[in-house]
Amino acid sequence: MQIFKELYLYREMIASLIRKDLRGRYKGSVLGFLWTFINPLLQLGVYTLVFSVILRAGIEKYHLFLFVALIPWMFFSTCLSAGCSAIINDKNLVTKVYFPREVLPVAFVTGNFINMLYSFIVVLAVSALFGDHVDLVAWLYLPIVMAIEYVLALGCTLIASAVTVFFRDLQYILGILTMAWQFLTPVMYSVDMVPDELMTLFLLNPMTSIVIAYRDILYHGQIPAMQTLTVPLVIALVVLVVGELVFRRLQRYFAEEL
Amino acid sequence: MDMIEVRNVCKDYRVYHDKSCTLKERILFTQRSKYEKREALKDVSFTVPQGEAVGLVGLNGCGKSTMLKLIARIIYPTSGHIETRGRISSLIELGAGFHPDMTGRENIRINASIFGLTQREIQAKLDPIIEFSELGKAIDTPVRTYSSGMYMRLAFSVAVHVEADILLIDEILAVGDAGFQEKCFRRLAEIKAAGTTIVMVSHSLGQIEEICERSIWLQSGQIQLMGEPKQVHSAYLASFR
Repeated sequence: MQIFKELYLYREMIASLIRKDLRGRYKGSVLGFLWTFINPLLQLGVYTLVFSVILRAGIEKYHLFLFVALIPWMFFSTCLSAGCSAIINDKNLVTKVYFPREVLPVAFVTGNFINMLYSFIVVLAVSALFGDHVDLVAWLYLPIVMAIEYVLALGCTLIASAVTVFFRDLQYILGILTMAWQFLTPVMYSVDMVPDELMTLFLLNPMTSIVIAYRDILYHGQIPAMQTLTVPLVIALVVLVVGELVFRRLQRYFAEEL
Repeated sequence: MDMIEVRNVCKDYRVYHDKSCTLKERILFTQRSKYEKREALKDVSFTVPQGEAVGLVGLNGCGKSTMLKLIARIIYPTSGHIETRGRISSLIELGAGFHPDMTGRENIRINASIFGLTQREIQAKLDPIIEFSELGKAIDTPVRTYSSGMYMRLAFSVAVHVEADILLIDEILAVGDAGFQEKCFRRLAEIKAAGTTIVMVSHSLGQIEEICERSIWLQSGQIQLMGEPKQVHSAYLASFR
């Protein structure tokens, strides 16, 4: 509980780190901030070309099918593969000033979350314009799904960023792991293609339910089933609590290790 | 009321002969990651009441900076307890968290936010901080163009304006010119009178005598002598003879 109070006191530090991250992201490029929108569109273009022209997936409007899952996935995978460096990248601060160390992963995840929200302007526009099933009531469930994904991403980033301080290999391991995780999550294919006997295993992966929920809302135009939301919510909360406990234990030694 | 309470604090550092950070190195060179334990502080206890200024003196490597970092909660003791009250502002290394490409003004905002100030508090203190730093027009140029003196002015100005309950200073004042140093000391006396507790490390014994009620002489991680600065310092100086 104490940590919420402390993070609230340091909210200005979190905000200024996020501003720096978002502003610095495309600094120096000609198109600047527009890249936030161009990036997902180009990605969408490449995937559409590959999977609906060359490697036909046999799914109706595959580009949409993929796009509504890929943007949320990219948020999660960035948190996992780049978020692990959140502490070591700010070594200078950690070794010289006191502040609740959680500020760094929280700022990283929140900055990327905001970036995902920007991308969602494109996602919502594309799915409203080209989607076959648009249900605005179902859209109201989007914030819930996003919140669950945020909690999960924060929990994972807390663990990964703390452990990386002591074990730098984790950065590279997570790069591979994220790729494998993407293929084990129905991002590029439909969950219907998963063999029945593996289904329980797949649902243990909270990202599976989260991707299903996004797809229900934005592709199928329906409200996600209760279970699709509660299972990942419980897992995400457990990961967050465990993440904070691990982080708090390890953070005492950050300054010495760096 | 004691603002800082240090009870039986010990701090060991592990000094690795050759630190291996990655899995490959760890597996291949298992015997390399041997380390020696170095005791930086051994059973140190003292308290600092509100509004008091304490100076830490001693030879290089005697544990002064370790003590400050422990109070600042940057590192944690191996055993023993440290309790502090209120907001801590620290000048342990010059311009920690300054971004070279950002202007002085932007850096003030960022630096103040690192000390836990809110947007409103920062807004209110921005002008006094700039005025105190005497940086004038340079405040709107990137910090990488600053001289080390200007850097120190900026860092010091922020640290003394955050209205911290505890201020920790590590051998910082040596950089400024005489005029600014004088101003810094007046400011330190002011915030001390306003109730801020100060702990400072300095090799300039005169600086400590000027502002501190008490001096702690650390010798190889232990308190050798603690008391009135002039007496402690003469004993400290006598140890060289």
